[in-house]
Amino acid sequence: MTESDERITCQELTELTNDYIEGTLPSHEMALFEQHLNFCDGCDWYVDQMRATIATVGRIEPEEVPPDIRDKLLAAFRDRNRS
Amino acid sequence: MAEVADPVAAEAALLERLRAGDEAAFDALVARHYATMLAVAQTYVKGRAVAEEVVQEAWLGVINGLDRFQGRSSLKTWILSILVNQAKTRGAREARSVPFASLVPEGEEPAVQADRFRGPDESYAGHWRAFPGDWGRSAAAAVQDRETVRVVMAAIADLPAAQQTVIRMRDVEGYSAEEVCTALDVSEGNQRVLLHRARSRVRAALEGHFDD
Repeated sequence: MTESDERITCQELTELTNDYIEGTLPSHEMALFEQHLNFCDGCDWYVDQMRATIATVGRIEPEEVPPDIRDKLLAAFRDRNRS
Repeated sequence: MAEVADPVAAEAALLERLRAGDEAAFDALVARHYATMLAVAQTYVKGRAVAEEVVQEAWLGVINGLDRFQGRSSLKTWILSILVNQAKTRGAREARSVPFASLVPEGEEPAVQADRFRGPDESYAGHWRAFPGDWGRSAAAAVQDRETVRVVMAAIADLPAAQQTVIRMRDVEGYSAEEVCTALDVSEGNQRVLLHRARSRVRAALEGHFDD
């Protein structure tokens, strides 16, 4: 963001995209970011890709618990209920 | 992870089931948090075996504490705090805790490969050579696809450990940035960089999948 005409490049935008999605971009950079999105379909799609990526990660099923550990924990839980 | 419409009510109901000794509820709770707990534990103690022990001890703490839990934090935040305490104690006792530096992002890592952009000597320097695809638009449908989720899982498995832990906590388990910082003992800035890098790498993997 050293350009005097106060614009960010596509490359710079990709480095700011996560902060943009996180809502942690300072207001000045936020304005530059949104201004860029207004005229650049490529970056608009890039931001969409990041959002889609996050949504997809959210659909991952957790890794399975090893059966022996699962059994031990269930046994401990059962013990609690007896006491 | 999508939450139920009223997360507070859902959580209260879950807690009630756990206190009443509902095994299925407990089993589901363990399944839901196990992987993340293991990843967090591994940032404090060395080796999967020790980390697994720490996670088990933490669950015993959860079981014993169920009746005392006040609900001042969410259940998952409470479980995580028990885990972190357990892991810290164990890490200190064994004096083989993982160096903090392993959670500090190292070097430079561009979000997108530099050759995707026009070079400094070209016109429109720093702009896309070719636009990224518009698959993110239709992703509402695409992300449901099992193959796509598989690609994402493989990409996450390939991430450096710290990035893996952060993206799991944030995007799979739904912890807040603040909770991640507390659990992993990392600065807000480092949490952000790790998440940025992790998401960027997974996006690149998805791009490879959709552009094929």
